[in-house]
Amino acid sequence: MQRVSAALSRVCDGALYLAGIGLVAMTALVAYQVFSRFVLNASPSWTETSAIMVMSWFIFLGAAVGVRENFHMGFDVLLYVLPKGSKGALRTISDLVAFAFGIGMVWYGMKLVALTWHSTIPALGLPGGFDYLPLTVGGVLISLFSLERMLLRWAGVDVDKDINLEAVPEMPAVQEA
Amino acid sequence: ETVLRSADTHPDGYPTVEAVKYMGDLIKERTSGRYSVEVYHSAQLGEEKDTIEQTQTGVIDLNRVSMGPFNGIVPETQVPSLPYIFRSVEQMRHVMDGPIGDQILKAFEAHGLVGLAFYDSGARSFYNTKKDITSIADLKGMKFRVIQSDVFVDMVNALGANATPMAYGEVYSALETGVIDGAENNWPSFESAKHYEVAKHYTIDQHQIVPEVLVMSKASWDKLSPEDQTIVKQAAKDSVVKMRELWDAREKKSRDIVEKAGVKVSEIDKQPLIDAMKPVYDKYLSTPELKDLAARIQATE
Amino acid sequence: MEIWILFGVFTLLMFIGTPIAFCLGAASFATIVYLGLPPLVVFQRLNSGMSVFSLMAIPFFIYAGDLMVRGGIAQRIVAFAGSLVGHMRGGLGQVNIIAATMFGGISGSAVAEAAAVGGLMIPQMKERGYGADYAVNVTSMAALIALLLPPSQNMIIYSISGGGKISIADLFTAGILPGLLLAASLMVTAYVVARHRGYPTEPFPGFARAGRLFLISIPGLLLIGIIFGGVRSGVFTASESSCIAVIYALLVTVLGYRTMRWNDFVHATKGAVRTTAMVLLIIGMAASFSWLMAYLRVPAALIAGMNAISTDPLIVLLLLNVLMLLLGTFMDMGPMIIICTPIFLPLVTHYGVDPVHFGVITILNLGIGLNTPPVGTVQFVACAVGKITVWEAMRSIWPFYGAGIVVLGLVTYIPAISLWLPSVFK
Ligand code: NA
Ligand code: NA
Repeated sequence: MQRVSAALSRVCDGALYLAGIGLVAMTALVAYQVFSRFVLNASPSWTETSAIMVMSWFIFLGAAVGVRENFHMGFDVLLYVLPKGSKGALRTISDLVAFAFGIGMVWYGMKLVALTWHSTIPALGLPGGFDYLPLTVGGVLISLFSLERMLLRWAGVDVDKDINLEAVPEMPAVQEA
Repeated sequence: ETVLRSADTHPDGYPTVEAVKYMGDLIKERTSGRYSVEVYHSAQLGEEKDTIEQTQTGVIDLNRVSMGPFNGIVPETQVPSLPYIFRSVEQMRHVMDGPIGDQILKAFEAHGLVGLAFYDSGARSFYNTKKDITSIADLKGMKFRVIQSDVFVDMVNALGANATPMAYGEVYSALETGVIDGAENNWPSFESAKHYEVAKHYTIDQHQIVPEVLVMSKASWDKLSPEDQTIVKQAAKDSVVKMRELWDAREKKSRDIVEKAGVKVSEIDKQPLIDAMKPVYDKYLSTPELKDLAARIQATE
Repeated sequence: MEIWILFGVFTLLMFIGTPIAFCLGAASFATIVYLGLPPLVVFQRLNSGMSVFSLMAIPFFIYAGDLMVRGGIAQRIVAFAGSLVGHMRGGLGQVNIIAATMFGGISGSAVAEAAAVGGLMIPQMKERGYGADYAVNVTSMAALIALLLPPSQNMIIYSISGGGKISIADLFTAGILPGLLLAASLMVTAYVVARHRGYPTEPFPGFARAGRLFLISIPGLLLIGIIFGGVRSGVFTASESSCIAVIYALLVTVLGYRTMRWNDFVHATKGAVRTTAMVLLIIGMAASFSWLMAYLRVPAALIAGMNAISTDPLIVLLLLNVLMLLLGTFMDMGPMIIICTPIFLPLVTHYGVDPVHFGVITILNLGIGLNTPPVGTVQFVACAVGKITVWEAMRSIWPFYGAGIVVLGLVTYIPAISLWLPSVFK
């Protein structure tokens, strides 16, 4: 299990880096769109469509990372008032929901890819199925990561640390201006 | 009683929405209430690309869609979408009501859809915030918003103007602030999107007279008895007459509103614009079948 | 029955702590299965609901905010604000609000703002003897100013959800006075509470130093003009302006201040990816959820119900405000705008309310919801920075809620506060 977990940790890091590159790429695409319209006086028809596709990728990759790092926002007031034992059980239910939904993303994502594979995305000329690839890949990672959480919790590892502190960037010290 | 669910991106009261409701009334009457139609207007069920997929998989039964989103799915739909392919609205109606229209409707079947009928969407023309456009030379260098489609981009560029693909939702602001000089659409959309508040010059060049299409999910169609299939098909055909009546009235009403608001309407000699389309046709009529279809459309009176 | 499944599954899962995104997704899935429809549509809506160009404003503004914090733009603005109002009673509370107002003019996200200004101010305030609850509440409420002052990603989402016919430039302009009004009302409240609690003042640093701090913060503050001017004059669209904010933040911190190191850049990018993925996954799942609401005709039922109660626009606006405040306690702002606008906007325009005016009402109302548990993103962030629980913050937030509600009432019933400024630009 530990070795699997270490491997998944690398997958998670990789997904986060890819997603970060996606965000930078999307910035570049939209900046190029503004630049070419305003400076070159010609608007490429592919920038918007491809920027959206890149966004789709980094959201689903980032969302999967969120499952592993446990930063998805939830309402856990009830968990604080309930006795300790039930907390683990409820968390497991939540992970099961995410796991099942992830499987759904893979299964129906593939169906959507197949359904749209023979159509063409205007402006890019790619098969329409490309639109649904991020959904499918994100689903694979979400189900993997939520399964890992359930197994680790079952093995006694604390995977339910408080989530909201993680989302806040640590602040550099106040500089004397 | 079975409810057939129908999607439309247009708002309630729009001719296509009303025509499908009318069709529903006919179906209800002719099946003695066994079938009825409920229209989900205003894109409640998603944009056209999405509702097409929902229709293909049988999530919804009926769908009124523009031709554009089908261009990448059903190649035959590319031909009537070409700029300046129809000379007038009357000619378009004549073509789509005849054997050519039937041939295109049949082509949907290979994609999990049953083509029922063609509706009108009027004629799209250019409008802008800058000046009256009365000749092809006036178009030179102007920035026009187009939908994210290569045909539109190529058409506008072939006319000597600059195409700016942009989401529809950003057009009003973009016209107002001068990100673009103009856009293009039919009278009702020009009016209902309020673009006439900022763009005061409309040029009747009618570069696109594209019909819209009413399709049914193949899955839903197969559930109907042969008699009911005939009833649905006939009700769809009957709704076209109603649709055109409503459309013509709507177009006139919108044009009146717009002209009353001070929009200057100008005519333009279409022939030089049609001639400029040669490279566009060469690019998009990629197979002999499509070339033949285009030739037959142009040869129809 | 279907409606009960949809809302029942959602509520049940929410109370056992399932992330909101999956509550929405699972509830949609269960309902679709019950209806006997292909579940495929749930995933299609999820995918298309987030694949919208205008939604890009969210990642961009979050990213720009993270870069401005990492690269020291926010710190310089806070220092400048300190020199202006630090000498008032409870000075650091006032500094917090003024800094939030200035930063709000360049940031489009209240979360980024709470993290940025709160991260700098809350530790300082605690050190100088302010209660952590006071520091947190001032921060979280002042962060809402960013929603109203341009740029604002939520106004873009509102315009799109309203069918795209509402001018974003007008919405941006309309938010300015309400934003400043909120700032003023919070400053008064913070002053009264600070007096009551006996909080200290800071010495005035002198005009020379204040001037120097101003000069240093100019490159950051310049972004206010670039974004507002750029959108109004048509150099770029509102959605594109969010991307320009990222580019500009990079230019200032890398070339201007030379404070952005590679490591900071990587951190900011990763942080933005995390926040963005969290928010947009909820928006995608909400698209499935609202598809089902439309399919089940929930909006029509709501409008019918509203018509049965009253058709007086003043009452309708009051009812909608109460309804949105209630819904806003449970749901995040983005999904709420996406779900509510298509339902409420036709209703209010039917009664003659201007869509731009209603946009400002919606943003302010749902903004207050960002500071109400159980789902209060901004409050969570501020509490996390202040290291207190939401319940500790709740004990003393009431005067600040009061300030927000008063402004909401004024903005609702005096349309000119929103609509006068856009009319000047016409
Ligand atoms: Na702002
Ligand atoms: Na809330």
